[in-house]
Amino acid sequence: MDEVFDVEGCLQRWREGDEAAAEKLIEHLYPVISRIVRTHLPRRDDEKDLVQEILMKTFAKLHQFKGDAPIAHWVSRLAVTTCLDRLRAQKIRPEVRRADLTLEESKAFDASWLMGSSPDASGAIGARDLVDRLLGTLAPEDRSLILMVDLEGRSMQEISQLTGWSISKIKMRLFRVRPQLRQMIQKLEE
Amino acid sequence: MKTNEDQVWQNLLARSAPTFAGESEPPYGFVTAALAQIRAEKRVQIEVERIGWRALLASLAVLAIAATVTLSVQPRDGGDLEPGVNAIVQMENFQVS
Repeated sequence: MDEVFDVEGCLQRWREGDEAAAEKLIEHLYPVISRIVRTHLPRRDDEKDLVQEILMKTFAKLHQFKGDAPIAHWVSRLAVTTCLDRLRAQKIRPEVRRADLTLEESKAFDASWLMGSSPDASGAIGARDLVDRLLGTLAPEDRSLILMVDLEGRSMQEISQLTGWSISKIKMRLFRVRPQLRQMIQKLEE
Repeated sequence: MKTNEDQVWQNLLARSAPTFAGESEPPYGFVTAALAQIRAEKRVQIEVERIGWRALLASLAVLAIAATVTLSVQPRDGGDLEPGVNAIVQMENFQVS
């Protein structure tokens, strides 16, 4: 992506006050930020607001960007940190009970015992709501970590770069959070 | 070791995967709104910096005046001051053994 897009030139023009360069940067960074926000934040949260907030932070800190890594990496770290801050401000639910699930979530849970069945759009939303509900019982850092590993398939190294956590801290968190998830799913079965 | 619950979790994630996909292009009006906000924040920053410099220069000026007044009062022995002020000046020179 960065090979095609002239980041350096764009940054230079932005520093010189060219607003068209800022527009190009926003268009370039939007997909990167949007994907991170959608992954880390619950579906019902206002993602547009958060994407905007991350973009503002990016432009405010652009002078700190050294250019030794692709700008997408630098912005990704900023986006993950901002998402974690937003999640920390939200209330963690103590537990998930089967009786609290909506009909769609209940269907998604039952269907997830079957392998290989691909859902329709409403099935995907039901599954996502249930995923958000389960993740909502975890600490924000655990929630993000589990999605980076299980959904995005990121390596420990990548996660470490994105979050600033050490590899041993990541492993420890994963080791602790897996049983929590299993236990919640077990409770839903009962 | 993978348990049934792990598999259920993976299936749930797989089923919800389409909802996690990010948008490749900003929605209509987003870039304009973002640019307007960047412009506004830049203006505020410039204003804050300008006010900040002024405040700093004003503080330095006040400090310089205060230092000048102090230095011009201290060398005197207080003979030409009012009795009350003289007492305060003498207290300043009070020796603690």
